[in-house]
Amino acid sequence: MSGTDQPAPRLSPPERLVRAVAVGTLIVGGFFPFIWMVLTSLKSEGELQTFPVQYLPSSMNVGNYARVFSEQPFATFFTNSLIVSVLSTALCIACAVPAAYALARLHVRARGVLMTGVVAFSMFPVVSLLVPLFRLFRGAELLNTYPALILPYAALSLPVAILTLVAFFSAIPRDLEAAAMVDGTDRVGAMLRVVLPLSAPGVVTAALLVFVNSWNEFLLALSFNTRLSMRTVSVGVTLYQGEFAFPWPLIAAAVVVATVPIVLLIAVFQRRFVAGLTAGGVKA
Amino acid sequence: MTARPGRGQPRRETSEGRLALLLLLPAALLLCGVLLFPMLTTLRDSLYVNKLTEPWLRGFVGLSQYAQMLHDPRFGQALRNTLVFGIFTVGGSFLVGIPMALAAHTPSRVRGLARVALLLPWAMPPVISGLIFAWLFNAQYGVVNDVLYRAGVIHEPLRWLSTPGLAVVAMVITIVWKTSSFVALIVLGGLQGIPRDLTEAAEVDGATRVQGFFRVLLPLLAPSLAVAFIFRAISAVQVFDIPYTFIQQAPAQGLLETLGVYIYRTSIEFLDFGYGAALSVALFALSLAVTAVYVRFVRDGSSS
Repeated sequence: MSGTDQPAPRLSPPERLVRAVAVGTLIVGGFFPFIWMVLTSLKSEGELQTFPVQYLPSSMNVGNYARVFSEQPFATFFTNSLIVSVLSTALCIACAVPAAYALARLHVRARGVLMTGVVAFSMFPVVSLLVPLFRLFRGAELLNTYPALILPYAALSLPVAILTLVAFFSAIPRDLEAAAMVDGTDRVGAMLRVVLPLSAPGVVTAALLVFVNSWNEFLLALSFNTRLSMRTVSVGVTLYQGEFAFPWPLIAAAVVVATVPIVLLIAVFQRRFVAGLTAGGVKA
Repeated sequence: MTARPGRGQPRRETSEGRLALLLLLPAALLLCGVLLFPMLTTLRDSLYVNKLTEPWLRGFVGLSQYAQMLHDPRFGQALRNTLVFGIFTVGGSFLVGIPMALAAHTPSRVRGLARVALLLPWAMPPVISGLIFAWLFNAQYGVVNDVLYRAGVIHEPLRWLSTPGLAVVAMVITIVWKTSSFVALIVLGGLQGIPRDLTEAAEVDGATRVQGFFRVLLPLLAPSLAVAFIFRAISAVQVFDIPYTFIQQAPAQGLLETLGVYIYRTSIEFLDFGYGAALSVALFALSLAVTAVYVRFVRDGSSS
């Protein structure tokens, strides 16, 4: 909790009330849908079928969580998502860091054009790429493999990662680098030993953004990896519904399990997320 | 980067240029191979008939699949839906997102919690947001109906997802919930960049807080709002995941089908790759048009 001892600016009682209501609404609005899924996941089908709705489950019924893993290979979905998200993040950052460094620091003649190009790539509609990528991957026998998702995820997040990193690199004082170069280090040495360590928070931020994008992607995962053993979490959660039947407590449990990593990531890295989105957004 | 006069001998510039090229190469390869090349393929495919259900019709047809769009009522409907959703969800995300940013910006004891609440909808997978809200709007056991019923607003449960008008309202609310966070985060960045004395100076001048917000804060936030707007507008034009999830649950499909969903169905469900490609190009053009409007707006804004 930050800012606890920071004195709030002088506020009159009515203003304080407005602030409390605003902050309260924000917190309830952000958390309620998720909490509602947790409550639903703990109910039995019978408890669910009451109107007016019974808000709290009468007993902690964790059976739905066991069913999440027994009715579908959810552990496999989870592993797949983890592998795909981690590797696409690694690939994306490995390409984004040198590119962003060049754009932020080196004498690149066509810098304006290149930056516009990066922004243009961020507007490509995923659905327009679906069929050609499908054909490409079918030809290369990549369907139902991890690279079928890793490659497009890394590419789709690359523009955002580059823009975020350019903002971070540009904020590092040039003199530091110049000093290192005067001391006899060359460009690459200065980049690796001076700029990169200083921009570590930026790299972490960009990596978090890419990871969340990859974890959440649905359309390509739905279409490219159709074998059950290759499904990811975002597609997996939709597999519990039948054509006419919606076992909501079970679906809710699946949703909760699928969302927990995201909630944890945000709780731990909230500052980095806020810093990254605000820096990248305003500079873009 | 601007070239600085008197600095950088030609030899160093060439070596720097070569290094830059080397550093840019991996990113360029990935972007061109996985995004640009497929997009060009789509452009070419849009000129050929290629329908798996009628394989005998294959061949070059020029722009006729684009002409087909003009006479396709389903395309018209999808385009209209996309624009209507776009207007309401982008507008809604600003109406909700700006107060969210202000609430998260004011120092309070629960600021950390407020930040997580702000980030959560943004980070939630869209498909999962769609599922969650489909459940909240469930006709029989949904919490929305329950609250309205307890408050005495309704006496019969509303069939949110199967009544066309209500299904649209439910989907707009879902998308606004999901996307307001993004606007709030960008605005929060803008707020953090404004020195506190500026807003306090407005108060000393006798302006109330509300007036101070409209006269001082909002103009200063204009650049952040513009950035948030362009990203929101593009994502609204391309929206797919949430409508797709809703359609799985809602018989009121026609009004929920966006351009993105229609392209998916044309290509994947009706196996009409040629027409699907033409529709894809149209969607891309629409995204470009949104960006062009923005670029022009920014240029006019900075020149005046």
